[in-house]
Amino acid sequence: MRKLALAVVLALAAPSAHAAEPWGLKDEKLVSFKGKVVDVLCTLKGDCPADCGAGKRQLGLVSTEGKLFTASKSNTLFAGAARDLLPWCGKTIEIDGLLIENPAMPILMVQGIRETPDKEFAPTDQFEKDWTAANGKADEWWRADPTVKATLAPNGILGRKDLKWPK
Amino acid sequence: MRKSMFAAVALAALLGPAAAQAQTAGKRVQVTGEIVDTWCAVTGIMFGLGTAHHQCAVWCAVGGIPVAIRDKDGQFYMVLKIEDEDISVASPKIVKIQSHEVTVDGELFERDGVKYLLVDKVADDKGIVNLTHDEHGVVPFGE
Repeated sequence: MRKLALAVVLALAAPSAHAAEPWGLKDEKLVSFKGKVVDVLCTLKGDCPADCGAGKRQLGLVSTEGKLFTASKSNTLFAGAARDLLPWCGKTIEIDGLLIENPAMPILMVQGIRETPDKEFAPTDQFEKDWTAANGKADEWWRADPTVKATLAPNGILGRKDLKWPK
Repeated sequence: MRKSMFAAVALAALLGPAAAQAQTAGKRVQVTGEIVDTWCAVTGIMFGLGTAHHQCAVWCAVGGIPVAIRDKDGQFYMVLKIEDEDISVASPKIVKIQSHEVTVDGELFERDGVKYLLVDKVADDKGIVNLTHDEHGVVPFGE
C-alpha cells in the first residue's frame, strides 16, 4: 500500500511528460523527442565553425532516429530558437513543441528544453532575455528594436515608398 | 598512394564524425521566388506573404527565424548562407531584402523533407512586387 501511495505521489510530482501548448495550426502536431543539438549547415555540408557558429547560424536537432529538424521558432513572439539551443551545441537534450507537417516544408517550434527527464522543460525565451538585457524592457520588442526601426523607416511598413499605410 | 590515403584518414579523424558524414557539395540550382519568414509563410499564420506581411517578415528575420525563398509552386528553400555572409540568424543581408522577389544561384541540399539553400549570388532582385495589402490589410495587428 505504501509503495502504491509513493508511486502516486511520485507520478504527481514528476514533471509533465508533455508540456507543449497547441496553437491550432493546420497540420500541427505536439511533439517531444530527444536529439543532438547541431549546426544545420555543418551537418549538411561539413562546414563546421566552433561553437555551432556562436549564435550566427541556424541550429537544429538530430533525433535518435537520425532525422534532422531545424528549430525555427521559440516561445518568444517573432523570434527563433537558435539562442535557446546554442548552450547545448553537440549535446543531447529533450525538447517539446510543435511540429507543423506542411508537405512543402516541415517546421519545428521548440517550446521547452530539458537535459534529463527528471527536470521540468525550461521555456525557450532566451531571445527575449538577451534583447531586454541589451535594449531595456519593452512591451513589444519587435516594434522597439533598433534594427527593425532602421529597416522599416526608409520605405514604410509595406516596404515601398510609393505605397502608403493607412491609405 | 599510401601517403594520400593516410592523409585522408587523418583529415577525417581530425574533422570528426559530423564532417566525415556530411555531404560536401549540393546540387547547383537557380531559384526564383519571394523572400519570406518560414514560420509565418509555412504555417499560414498571419498571412505570410507580400506587402501585407512585410513588416512582420522583418520582425521575424530580425528575431532570428529562418528565412526561405518561396517559389511560384509554393516550394520553400530555407536560406542558410547568402553570398559572402556566413550568417543565417538575423542576417543583415536577408533582413534588407525581406518580401523581395529574387532570383538566386546556389547550392541545394535536401534532407528530411526540407530544401536548404546556400546562396552564392543574388542574380536578380525585383524588389517587393507581391502587393497583398489591398486584400489583406497589414497582418498582424492592422498597423
